[in-house]
Amino acid sequence: MLLEVRDLHVEFRTRDGIAKAVNGVTYAVDEGETLAVLGESGSGKSVTAQAVMGILDMPPGRITGGEILFKGRDLLTLKKDERRAVRGAEMAMIFQDALSSLNPVLSVGDQLGEMFVVHRGMSRKDARAKAVELMDRVRIPAARERVKQYPHQFSGGMRQRIMIAMALALEPALIIADEPTTALDVTVQAQVMDLLAELQREYRMGLILITHDLGVVADVADRIAVMYAGRIVESAPVHDIYKAPAHPYTRGLLDSIPRLDQKGQELYAIKGLPPNLMRIPPGCPFHPRCPMAQDVCRTDVPPLYEVSGTRGSACHFWRECLHA
Amino acid sequence: MPEPILEVDGLVKHYPLTQGVLFKKQIGAVKAVDGVDFALGRGETLGIVGESGCGKSTVAKMLVHLERPTAGVIRYKGEDVTKLSGRALKAVRRNIQMVFQDPYTSLNPRMTVGDIIGEPYEIHPEVAPKGDRRRRVQELLDVVGLNPEYINRYPHQFSGGQRQRIGIARGLALRPEVIVADEPVSALDVSVQAQVINLLAGLQKEFDLSYVFIAHDLSIVRHISDRVGVMYLGRIVEIGTDEQIYDHPTHPYTQALLSAVPVPDPEAREHRERIILAGDVPSPTNIPSGCRFRTRCFKARERCAQEVPLLAVPEAFRGAAGPAVHPSACHFAEEKQVVPPETDPGGDRFLPPADGPGRSA
Repeated sequence: MLLEVRDLHVEFRTRDGIAKAVNGVTYAVDEGETLAVLGESGSGKSVTAQAVMGILDMPPGRITGGEILFKGRDLLTLKKDERRAVRGAEMAMIFQDALSSLNPVLSVGDQLGEMFVVHRGMSRKDARAKAVELMDRVRIPAARERVKQYPHQFSGGMRQRIMIAMALALEPALIIADEPTTALDVTVQAQVMDLLAELQREYRMGLILITHDLGVVADVADRIAVMYAGRIVESAPVHDIYKAPAHPYTRGLLDSIPRLDQKGQELYAIKGLPPNLMRIPPGCPFHPRCPMAQDVCRTDVPPLYEVSGTRGSACHFWRECLHA
Repeated sequence: MPEPILEVDGLVKHYPLTQGVLFKKQIGAVKAVDGVDFALGRGETLGIVGESGCGKSTVAKMLVHLERPTAGVIRYKGEDVTKLSGRALKAVRRNIQMVFQDPYTSLNPRMTVGDIIGEPYEIHPEVAPKGDRRRRVQELLDVVGLNPEYINRYPHQFSGGQRQRIGIARGLALRPEVIVADEPVSALDVSVQAQVINLLAGLQKEFDLSYVFIAHDLSIVRHISDRVGVMYLGRIVEIGTDEQIYDHPTHPYTQALLSAVPVPDPEAREHRERIILAGDVPSPTNIPSGCRFRTRCFKARERCAQEVPLLAVPEAFRGAAGPAVHPSACHFAEEKQVVPPETDPGGDRFLPPADGPGRSA
């Protein structure tokens, strides 16, 4: 296994109390595999990724438990400089907002080349040549001329492709893409996702795709981990989950997508709101919104039950849900 | 179509680009909206879809008179409102209200919910006499599904979905006939979007409202709209009923747009054809000659650079019948099914275009 996150706990100390952002997340990605982490805002999907990358703001954040095994080594036990050598070179991240992730006062060539100067000790001239090569690779036209330009001179889609180029620069084994296309228009989103998928196949990278978009997930993912209130509530191969979800939250998300035969009727809506992370409900965190909730859900936290060899659901009534 | 309540004819909005400080010289214009025509029937929902920068929000702003059109006519019940001023304009504006995209920035954080929803009555006191306002506001809160006792709370005490309900209540306060909703759910979480869409649909029935519903999420637009217009670079390129646009698109841009939307069905991955457009949308300061879509179009030929295609039923379809016959601004319009039709509820369980909100979750 390329990456294994085991029972990760992260909390944030804030003025109003402790926000429990991640409460025992376990997931794994193999090389060449795409894991989609699906969740709404506040579900902990990005915080988990930041912990894996080692870019969590600490304080106020704190990792209170768990392991992050990357190629068998626990990243949480590494020293700062060892960690730095992994970050960027062996795993890289693509952020949602390319404009604010790029430095506005450095040319894109300098920013791309920096990867090679810092990690590989190349000269600036060689690094520049590498930058042009990378921009070609992500299909930016006239790369040789445009390498001197600044981020604001590129369109949104091209900026995101530059982010992808930067992430790929050192041919990492793992890429974490946090909502990489959310800020883009659909026609550009299709270009960027296609490119990402192609490069992933070529380099056989592991990809963690963090998103809230059930459409994007269905298009590219091999496996899905659905997060809610800092936990994985369902984890399954992509085909299984769309056919028959084994958790009422997943079912609710799928059912709230407008369908043709429902036109003019009410859409299914999950009632209520996602919980406040300072006051996560006892028992199953989804129970106040769940149409299937029973007494046991209010008291006992459901473990991730094994539904099949490749599938888990954190619902006491996963059998009923699966066959509903 | 029922009798039109709102008609838009040749609507244009150009923002001048100037050079110089003292003697400003116009050196060009951002052609945000460049000739838009449509009509909205009473009780109907017209969806407008398009990518960022296509001018859909500028159209919305002109409809509610937040922007003055450079040219063109907006007729409300037959009367051109772009020429109105003073009292007559005020009366019309009361009847056309707006719901904004971002419930975080469109509500004043220093005002209570009661003041926010009641503020329209300050400008139009004839709608509700002073003593009656508090009761009216509480009624409105109830209508949009919020607890009327929350009247003294502040916006930050509400979640995004609840804030959007407050924005909707404010839009309803003056009992308008037309609501222009600009991306009303795109800032909300997936599980909350459906709640707000249901609310909007319910209110439409209850108060006999007509909606102009602007969004980039094609599946939501289809769900709520009777007719849909597709915008590209300041113009509507295709317009028709939801079935005509989604199942029988004839304009290549509509086809590309529909095919690019990820379908929430992993089985569809293998057998769907995607039209990936090259490049980016051209700058609205420098619109291509002829057909404005030709620089990205997979069908473009010489004629497209010379002749501007008009939004009308294409020649090829004239005299024919069927759902493919609807206005489409393309010289080479032809029908193409880009999204697989819904079959049995197991395999192709979900229908086309579903897309998440335009921002992060």
